[in-house]
Amino acid sequence: MKEERRERNVVVETVARVMIPFVQLFALYVIIHGAGGPGGGFQGGVVFASAFILHVIAFNLIGGRARFPESVNTVFSSLGLYVYGGIGLLATIFSLGAAQYLNYGFIPFTSHFEENRALGMDFVEMGIGITVMAITASIFFDLAKKDGNGKEEEEEGSRSWNGSSQKSWQNTTTGSSSSS
Amino acid sequence: MKSLRAIALILIILLCGLFIYVAEDIPVFGDPEAPPIKSVKLFTMEVDQVVSLLDQHIVPEKLSGELVKRGFPPPSHIEKIPGIDGEWNAFIEKEEPHYAKEEKYYWIRKEGDKLRISRYAFVVRWIEKGLKETAVPNMVTYGLADYRGYDTLGETTVIFTAGVSVILLLRRRSRL
Repeated sequence: MKEERRERNVVVETVARVMIPFVQLFALYVIIHGAGGPGGGFQGGVVFASAFILHVIAFNLIGGRARFPESVNTVFSSLGLYVYGGIGLLATIFSLGAAQYLNYGFIPFTSHFEENRALGMDFVEMGIGITVMAITASIFFDLAKKDGNGKEEEEEGSRSWNGSSQKSWQNTTTGSSSSS
Repeated sequence: MKSLRAIALILIILLCGLFIYVAEDIPVFGDPEAPPIKSVKLFTMEVDQVVSLLDQHIVPEKLSGELVKRGFPPPSHIEKIPGIDGEWNAFIEKEEPHYAKEEKYYWIRKEGDKLRISRYAFVVRWIEKGLKETAVPNMVTYGLADYRGYDTLGETTVIFTAGVSVILLLRRRSRL
């Protein structure tokens, strides 16, 4: 049983190591490309979160949590909403209250009204992407955790092949969870 | 730890204030007189002999010229459709996209000494004027993020609320 898992882990680890940067790059492409073609914040955010999920499946839960700590995750999940709301509020501020909330044309990115609307849309899509990515990762990490008593373990991750590294991960995770 | 909680409380209060402001700023829903709902005015033109031609169900050259000059397709014939507003309705012979009933007609109405040419607002705005108004070629994106920006803000809030609910339910750490 243990031998089989090791054999599988080598292949999955190697493929994941190669794939994860490309998955993340593709997610950023989908978010940025949302104005010109198919794509957008929701899709790109989910693709980006799937990179974290792939990392957790290939390695283990504690290592994935160490890459994307709980405190950073919580901050990101509300940051996107603040970007969205802030862009909308900027329109009202720059037009001195004349324009409606979320009327991006009045934010002076460029000198053209229409270009401002396109750029405002891009920033809004980025905000959506950040929130969707953080929330999807947060839900996944919370559901994958077995018990909530600070002792984070997973049915496969607990039987890790490297006991010392698991101990160090536990130290980092308990430190991050107490700070949040 | 204390300062973190204070910052979080301030941010939550700011977010609540922002949402109250947004809720106050949303346009009235279901207002039949709201301009984007009923019809959009394309332009006005002089009456001249256009009215007599319209009464004989002939498409005036001047009307077609004005429409083509503004980038709209010229009508093929004039008729009066009972369910549609306007004294005359000019049929648009256009295969793509397949419009439904009201979007196929220009609505022409006489207002004083001017002719008011208008059209069903929603489709004109969305399909034919979206690229000009927002400089974004993707019809879905400018609908999602610009015309329906409030809707998307609400959707993002729904996702945020779902994540916060999962955090509250599953991340208890022997408290509560």
